[in-house]
Amino acid sequence: MTATSPSPAGSTVSFDSASAPGGTLVRSSRGLALRGLRSIVRLPSAFLPAMMMPIVQAIAFSGTFFAITKIPGFPTDRSINWYLPLACCMGSGFSGVGMGFSTVRDLESGFFDRLRMAPSPPLSLILGPLLACWLRVMIVISTVLVVGFSFGARLTDGALGLVALYVAGLGVSTIAAGWGLGLAYVFGDMRAAALMQLTLFNALFLTNAQTPLFIMTGWLHEIARVNPFTNVLRLSRQGFLGEVTWGDTWGGLAAIVGLSAVTLWFARRGLDRLGD
Amino acid sequence: MTVAVDALPVPRRVDDDRTAFTRQVLALSKRSILAIYRQPALVAPSLIFPLFFAALGASSFDRATALPGFPQVDSFLSFSLAGSITQGVLFGSAPTSRVGILIGRLAGAAVFGAFQALFFTLVLMPFGVSVEAGVVGLMVIVLAGAATGMAIGGFTAAMALKTGSSEAVQGSFPLLFIALFFSSAFFPRETMQGVYQTIANVNPVSHLVEGLRGLVIDGLTWGNVAKAVLVPVGIGVFSIALAMRTLAGRLAAR
Repeated sequence: MTATSPSPAGSTVSFDSASAPGGTLVRSSRGLALRGLRSIVRLPSAFLPAMMMPIVQAIAFSGTFFAITKIPGFPTDRSINWYLPLACCMGSGFSGVGMGFSTVRDLESGFFDRLRMAPSPPLSLILGPLLACWLRVMIVISTVLVVGFSFGARLTDGALGLVALYVAGLGVSTIAAGWGLGLAYVFGDMRAAALMQLTLFNALFLTNAQTPLFIMTGWLHEIARVNPFTNVLRLSRQGFLGEVTWGDTWGGLAAIVGLSAVTLWFARRGLDRLGD
Repeated sequence: MTVAVDALPVPRRVDDDRTAFTRQVLALSKRSILAIYRQPALVAPSLIFPLFFAALGASSFDRATALPGFPQVDSFLSFSLAGSITQGVLFGSAPTSRVGILIGRLAGAAVFGAFQALFFTLVLMPFGVSVEAGVVGLMVIVLAGAATGMAIGGFTAAMALKTGSSEAVQGSFPLLFIALFFSSAFFPRETMQGVYQTIANVNPVSHLVEGLRGLVIDGLTWGNVAKAVLVPVGIGVFSIALAMRTLAGRLAAR
């Protein structure tokens, strides 16, 4: 027997009671992930900004800051090659915190209480949104790439460069989703939304987001040098600036694994305390 | 049962109507300005983000000022002040709703725009930014901030009146983002190429910013004053006329 529960977004979440008590982690997560994907169609206003902003950002930044490619030593003569990966990571990050926004909506409407009472593993309340987030990120990055290529972006190391970009994007979205869900559980209302966006924005811009480290001067250089997101952006840009190397990869992977572990632990702790 | 004679309508004269109109506009303007003061969380981002971007730009792009096409400036921060003012005012003017109501709301946007212009200039001065046009130039910059605030407020008011949705007004952010980034707000037009330069050339925001920047970098000239003030006034005439027309349409529909 399958019980279905209507959600505020008009979608339904299915839990197969045959596997109760608990259901399976995979099945419950899949149900929640599908609900997250359905909301793309049912609540496009919540998804479209995460899709459109990176496109606008990539085009606007590469046009406005075109001249920086003329600085001696700049790693590419195509400004869009520098700004496209940044836009993809930014879009991925906002897709991640978008999961936090939808969780806040569920908390405020009371739908989240029904999810918590469902006979499914609590971990699925984190894993489900995370799966949905990854699928959204694949859509966002693919769309931004298509637009970017039509505006002159070119790969310098073939498909390997694309792999590096997708890994970086999925990593940023995982970190952002953990952070967004954690804040949603801690605050339980839309106060969390501003904090999610502000912190993500700062984390990504206090890096080599706009220019390479060697061009920076003063305080920003010192912060960007130690900000782990600098490594993630380096990972994402490899395939657009030259060859993909392990030297430019491992730092980004380490940052993704470390920060994801911290933010997902924060989300899990917030979820556990929600029941207290 | 008693009849309150004092409450019966008294025939009104035209002068009374004008006085009432002025009083209503002033009261609504005051309310709109107080709303800004009472809701700092709503206006803080439009003060903090431009300063954040200015600080980022100063560290990221300082070396770019040596590139051909850049004007002679002591630092990127001096170059970026005009862009910061325009960015703050563009993203900070968002009134949400008869003629008196509209004008009262726009007055709030104008006062906040003037405040932002003064705020950004004063905050960046200790970091080496100086206004070459002096005190008169600073007054022109503040006036331009007010005119820009009212002009952008006109567009957002028109959008609010047309849609009746605060979400739709929030949705104007990408349009303002495009207007700002496809201009010379952050880098000179001379350093751009192709279609970007063509769009920046025809974008009125470019000319507004260049007027403000001229006052900061070059000094007080009629050309700089005209661009800094007349461009937002021109945009304002158009946007407020659009808001009035939208308002008339909305009232007629009822």
